[in-house]
Formats: sequence, structure tokens, C-alpha cells
Amino acid sequence: MRLVALDQQAQAAGLRLGQALADARALVPGLTVLEQDTGFLASAFAEFADWHSNASPLVGVLQDKAPFGDLVLDITGVAHLFGGEAAMLRMVLGRLRALGYSVAGAIAPTIGAAWAQSHFGSSGIIGSEQLSDALDKLPVAALRLDERQVSLLTQMGLTRIGALRTRPRKPMLARFGASLILRIDQAYGQIEERMTPRLPPADHFVERKFFEPISTLEDVLLTMEGLAQDLSQLLEAEGLGGQGFHLFLYRVDHKVMTLSLNAARLTRDAGHIASLFRHRAQRLEQEHYDPGFGIDLVRLAAASLDRLEPGQAGVFETDNGAKDIEQLTDRLASRLGPLSVLKTELVASHIPERAARLVPALTQQAQIAPAGEGDRDRPLRLLPQPEPVAISAEVPDGLPAAMIWRRQRYRLVKAAGPERISAEWWRSGERLKLVPAERPTPPAPGEAPKPLPYTPDLPLFDPMTGMRDYYIVEDGEGHRFWVFRLGLYGGAVHPVWYLHGVFP
Amino acid sequence: MFLFCSYSHSTMQTQNRQQRLAALRDTIANIERKPALAEMRARAFDGAADGFPRLPGGLLQDVCTDAVRNGGASLGFALGQVRTLFTPKRLAVLYLQLAADAQFFGLPYGPGLSSFGLDPAQLVIVRASDMQDLLWVAEEALACRAVAGIVADIGGAPEMLDFTASRRLSLRTAESGTSLFLLRYGADRPASAAHLRWHLAPHRSGRKPFDDRAPGPARWGLTLERGNTGQNTREWILEWTGNAFKSLPDRAGKTRQHLPGTPVSLPLPALLGNPISQTG
Repeated sequence: MRLVALDQQAQAAGLRLGQALADARALVPGLTVLEQDTGFLASAFAEFADWHSNASPLVGVLQDKAPFGDLVLDITGVAHLFGGEAAMLRMVLGRLRALGYSVAGAIAPTIGAAWAQSHFGSSGIIGSEQLSDALDKLPVAALRLDERQVSLLTQMGLTRIGALRTRPRKPMLARFGASLILRIDQAYGQIEERMTPRLPPADHFVERKFFEPISTLEDVLLTMEGLAQDLSQLLEAEGLGGQGFHLFLYRVDHKVMTLSLNAARLTRDAGHIASLFRHRAQRLEQEHYDPGFGIDLVRLAAASLDRLEPGQAGVFETDNGAKDIEQLTDRLASRLGPLSVLKTELVASHIPERAARLVPALTQQAQIAPAGEGDRDRPLRLLPQPEPVAISAEVPDGLPAAMIWRRQRYRLVKAAGPERISAEWWRSGERLKLVPAERPTPPAPGEAPKPLPYTPDLPLFDPMTGMRDYYIVEDGEGHRFWVFRLGLYGGAVHPVWYLHGVFP
Repeated sequence: MFLFCSYSHSTMQTQNRQQRLAALRDTIANIERKPALAEMRARAFDGAADGFPRLPGGLLQDVCTDAVRNGGASLGFALGQVRTLFTPKRLAVLYLQLAADAQFFGLPYGPGLSSFGLDPAQLVIVRASDMQDLLWVAEEALACRAVAGIVADIGGAPEMLDFTASRRLSLRTAESGTSLFLLRYGADRPASAAHLRWHLAPHRSGRKPFDDRAPGPARWGLTLERGNTGQNTREWILEWTGNAFKSLPDRAGKTRQHLPGTPVSLPLPALLGNPISQTG
């Protein structure tokens, strides 16, 4: 076990990071040690990171070096809102210090340089001109290398980054791996390094700040309705519509609650957006809505934007209610979840359970029905899983005469069938038995031998397995069922009967 | 709502009394808010045929059947009625079911819908997690003017769907012009404010051409247990023709014929709301 974090007192006592716990105990006998709760720290830190999105829209957590991450903010084009980079750094760091954290931070043109400066230099700003000077002076560990690489470099006497930069690259690549070269290039800005923002990035957003924090859900929703109006105007001015909408609630205790939803098609209708959030919020209320000590900033953002031309009512426009239905499914899906509002999609397949599948109504596109399947008799209700039934017939291959389903006996008086539906060999990863190729004749002298026909290395398809014989049966009272027999009489496996659907 | 009636024996005139009665009937008709049924009755008294009526939209209908195995029949009956309610502006059907009931009741099957004569693309299937959500969806969908009909698999008599809830739904259906069908299974009849209550039993299917042993077109045996469609019959045997219901003569071999205008000798509370006098 090793030390991962120290307070100032422990540092003063001569302990250092990465030291073995036994050594530390030997140095300081009365040491207080707590085990690291990684999951808790990571989630608390992530929430902390989210809260920083009030400073910049792009906030990420770098997971690779620190035990629970480093906070990265992309402040491109943001700093002027806080009175310049220096003022912004002072504000962000000062705010955290006021909360009782010890913080180090730096602003630099690249992620690598900012990380290096904040961990191994003093808090400050590196402009793009001083980038190489500042980096050259820092130790190699500032490149976010792993321990083996750092110790190897130190053994070779390469302790500063500047010494690495001028060395030939090929031997270094062979010796230390591609990651070293990558890190050097990223730190100096030769290769762009990307960060993954934790919250969905939002180009278009509107927000409202509160002097006194609000806490009830009703207040939040009222604010949201006002924001939806503003957002709608903002989008309309640019001729845009959005499909995803996010509502961020910034709590005073540095946490962010996010409500996200998707509309079926591009929209900027304030009433529709507001009603979607209202339905989602009803669900939130049932589960957990915890405003903590209050919410001091509410932000509504639109994502997945695209051009949405202002609609114009035509003279010959036909209103077939499709828009109303879409808005209805939107509202239903925002409360019940998109997987609860479904539409049928027909698939060109003979297998009954594959011929229709249920897809979320939000994603469903206009479809072309497979041709030629319309005039078959199919049940109105299909059981998601066929249920085994006991069926007896007068002769093995005759029409079913009696059936037991769900412990109820039925005397069958009418039956139609069988309709034989075989398995789809092209989906089962098997090969068909083809007409045997003619026996290869020995090639005549001077002639190249003919290549054999290609046979894939797959098991042979057996048409008897997975073959079903479907019957429509009717009992004396008029119940009509769709039953099938899996397998054949006289085959290797005894056939089993299933009930698959119910007719009107 | 309160109705205050005061009588003064000495000055009451017969004509005055008639007027007041008529006014009261109008009030009650407004309270009952069954514009759809009133319209039905008006049409029936104009001398419509005695077959199965073409019911207008805006009705809350309980479709009761004895067992879950009749689920196909009751879904067919409801969808058959919805099919007559489609207009160019109302082209969608909603089917509501609890997510846990899918295996027990079965789900509407696309190719089966097309062979029944309904485009599967018109059907939206909503799988709610509990009865509260299901009723919320029903109410939300009633408010949408593009929905022709809603079919809900209720099961037995859930606690959540009591008389108050069904009264609420019946008022909403009457307002919106969308029909709501509650499919119930079991022998008990819970309190309900439905405009119509059917008892449905499957019936031996019709004859299939060229094959006497095969099941033919679907048939239903229906009894109207509650409500009044204005027809003199309360029992029908219906056959599905692929487009509409066809009324068949019952087992005795004759249709129940009543002379038009004959008073119906059944306790009908809804008659109070009928401004047209039944007694002449």
C-alpha cells in the first residue's frame, strides 16, 4: 500500500507521495491513514467538475495521472467574460481556495503545458510565445509519462523536457514507446490534444442567475418556461431548430443536475419544449429531486442543431394530424421513456416473430412495407414468447383435435394448415448443400489444373431443424389460435407444439 | 351541481309544468354530457336499420369478456370499431398495455393487423409501467385531436381505475370525440362510468369458401349490458367482412325485429337525458 495524498503537516514531517505505507509508519509512528474510496472520490470530483461549467462550457476530467483526475477547462473565447486570463485564473482559484481546497492551476495554450505548469511549476499563465521556454525548464515527469519511462529517462541523465526535445526521435521511439513522442508533441502543440467534455457541449443556450437561490421544482419549471421562450427566439433569429435539449440546474453547493431530452424532429416551439420538460420533471419528482441548499443558476441549452426554415401555411396544405401525433409521442416518451412508446416496423422475413419488430416511435422513419405478405392469415395478438401446449391429433400428421393451454382443455373443431415455415439458413451461419460439383478430371499435360469451387468452412444447414408447421385452430366455442409444431414426426427429436398467437 | 325544485300546488299550470320538465331534462342532458349517444338516438329514431349501429367517436366503452383467452376477440372488436372512426385528420390508434402483461395478453402483431384490415403504421403501442402511467397516457392521448381511438388492455378491475377515474375519462372522451375502449377480462363488473358496456364472447367462425374444416371470418357474440344505442336490439352476432361488421341473424334463425318506435322495456337511466320523449 502506498500514499496517494498528503496534507501539509504530513509533508512537513518528510513524507512524500508514492511512499510505501510501512515506511511512512516507520517515519511517523502516530500517522493517521485513511483508505482511498476511489468510486466516491471520482463521483464527487466529477460533480465538482460539472459545477465548473458555469465558468466555461467545456469542462473535462483528465483521468490518466491523478488518483481521481485533473480538472481541465477549455477557456477559448471565454476569458474576456471574466476580465482577462489572469483575472479568470485568480477568480477560479480564489473561489476554490475560499472553499478550503489547496489548488494549483495554470493557463497555457496546450493541455499538456497547462498540466505540466500546474503540477511542476507555479500557478500562472504561459503565453504562446513563452511556451517552449517554460516547458524546457520543467522535469520530464511533467509530460504525464508512466513511472517506468520517467526512471529510464532519469537514468540516462535526461531530467529536463528541453533535453528531450532536441534528441533524435527514432532511438527514443524505439526505447520509450510512442507515448513519449506523443506527449512531447502534444505539450508543444505540434499535435492537437482533445479533451472529452463531461456535459454535452451547447452552442446555443440561455441562462438565468438568481440573487437568492430557488429550490422548489415549480419555480424551476417556471424559470424553464421563460428560458424556453428566450431560447426559441434565439434559435428563430438564426433560423435553427434543435433536437436535443438540456436543462442544467447549478446548485449553490457545487453540484449540477441535468435534465436531457430529445424531440422527434427539429423544433424551436417554446410551448412544446416546455411541455416536454414538464413531463420529464414529473418523473424526476417521483424519483429524486434534491435541490440541496438551492439553485442559483438555471441554463437551458439546445443541441443537435440544424437549419429549420420558418414554416409557411400553404393554401392546399393537408393537415393529416401527423404533427400532432409526433408531439404526442414526444410527450409520452419524455415521461415514460423512449422504449415505452413503440411503433411496428415490418421486416421482409418469413419467420413470424421477425416479420414485425417494435421500434421506438421517436426514431421510426417512413417505411416501405415488404410486398406480397399481405394476404396471409396472421393473428391479431402475438405472444412475445411462444408457449408450449399439449396437442393431440387423430393421426400423427393430421389436424390437431385437442389442446391444453394454460391448464385449460380445448376441443378443436376446425383447423387449417399446415403452413410450413422453415428457418432462414442465411442468418444461421450455415451453408446450403449444393449440387455436388463434377468430379475433377486430371488436367491434360501442359494445362493448368482447374481450381476447386470454393466451399466456406461452415456447418451444413439442416432444413429439418427449426422448421415449423403452423396451424390455425378453432375450438367449439369459437376461440381461434395460431399453433405450430417444431420438428417432424419420425425425426430424431420428438416434435413439440407451441401456441404463438390469438386470432380475433 | 344542485337542482332546486319548488312546487306551489295552487298556481301550478299543466303547461307550465311541462315546460319546466323539459327544461330539467335539458339540464340533466347537459350534466350527462353524452352528445354522441344523443346524436345516435336521434339518428336511430329517424328509422335506421336494426343492424349493428355505426357508433360515433367520443364514447367510453367497456368491453368485458370472461377470460384472457378471448383477448384476440375483444381487441378485434375494438379495432373494428376504431376503423370506422378514421377521418383524414384522425388516423392514429393508440394501444395501451402494462409492460408486465405483454406475455400474458400478447402484443398486437403487425402482419396480423394488416390481414385484419388496419395499417400497422397507424398503431402506436404504449407500454406503461403501472396503472397510473397508463391512465395518464389515456388522458393525454384523448387530448390529442389526431387520435381516432384508444384501446387499453386493463385486465381485471384495478384499484386505480375506480368510478371517479372512469368518470373523468368518460367526460374527456365526450369532450374530445376520440373513443376509448377499456378491455376487461373476468366475470365481475366494477363500477364504471362508461357510456357503453359490452359483454363479448367469441362465436364459431363463418364458413370459409372451398374449405369447410378451416376457420372462416371472425365472429363475435355481443350483448349490450349498459347504455343505449337507440336500437331495439341489445344482442348481436357480428361477422367481420374485412372492412366492417355485418350483423347476422342469431341462433334461432331470425333477427330480433321490433317495430320502430316501440318503447324499450329496460331500465335506462340514460333515457332521462334524452330530450326526445320515449313515451310519446
